[in-house]
Amino acid sequence: MKKTSLSFWGMTPMLLGVIGLVGLLQALVTPDMLATLFQGNLLADTMIGTLAGSLAVGNPVVSYLIGGELVEKGTSLYAVSAFLLSWVTLGFVQLPAEVEVFGGRFTLYRNILAFIFTLMIAVITTLSLGMLS
Amino acid sequence: MKKQDKPFRFRGNYFFLFVLISYGLIFFINYHIPLLALEKAFLVLIKILPILIIVIFFTALLTYFLQPAKVINHLGKKSGIKGWLWVLAAGMLSHGPMYAWYPLLESLRSHGMRDSLIVVFFASRVIKIPLLPMMIDYFGWAFTLILSFYILVGALVQGWIIELIGTQPSSLQKNRNK
Repeated sequence: MKKTSLSFWGMTPMLLGVIGLVGLLQALVTPDMLATLFQGNLLADTMIGTLAGSLAVGNPVVSYLIGGELVEKGTSLYAVSAFLLSWVTLGFVQLPAEVEVFGGRFTLYRNILAFIFTLMIAVITTLSLGMLS
Repeated sequence: MKKQDKPFRFRGNYFFLFVLISYGLIFFINYHIPLLALEKAFLVLIKILPILIIVIFFTALLTYFLQPAKVINHLGKKSGIKGWLWVLAAGMLSHGPMYAWYPLLESLRSHGMRDSLIVVFFASRVIKIPLLPMMIDYFGWAFTLILSFYILVGALVQGWIIELIGTQPSSLQKNRNK
């Protein structure tokens, strides 16, 4: 227990840094600001959805609320799916901590894969849903 | 021979300093923003504190009870399909932000957990079992089921790709595979 507590204590500056940055982003980037980014272009919106989700921080419930609002406003499901996915799997805020813990190569590969798969899953989910309906 | 413990050091000092400087700079532009940010950061800290305590507890238990050989057996090179299913389930059940899980995963990795399984864990975290009813309410059954299915398949494929390409320099990879 002592060894584990010491290991966590060593990570305190990193965790506090991430939490501080999360607070700063939440204060600077509001959900309304994110919603205004979408323009109505399928391809651009899917990309914007991915980037907005990776920039945003907070509980996934918030991403459902924003996603629900976006769908009501007529934003494509491609963009909303990408937004929901990247909210959890991608995060600019935690990148420095991820590099510190897992190394640069792991972080680079994981984030590139997560980015590509976010786009792919968003597209095939919407296409599958379209075929079913 | 007993493995030598790593010397204690604080990690992420420069990153923390960078965040502090950012707060300071923004304070001079608009002092309301850093104050609001501090309030929000404090709320985040309060929210993730229970998760961190659970993670510390789990990490301590794992460090005490799990020998590297056991970790390798369950999550290492020869863990097979069992390892993939374990991390898929763990990813879906895990709560809180991704960074709260870094220390536990780092500890498991040092005991022999494969990088591909860490990638699967992170990718499968998009499915939040307690939040599924809410997702269904907002986006419907069909969307939730299809999205969840593709997320699981996608998580496994990402892990498989990492397994193929590796994330360690080739010399380290060889040592880990031994």
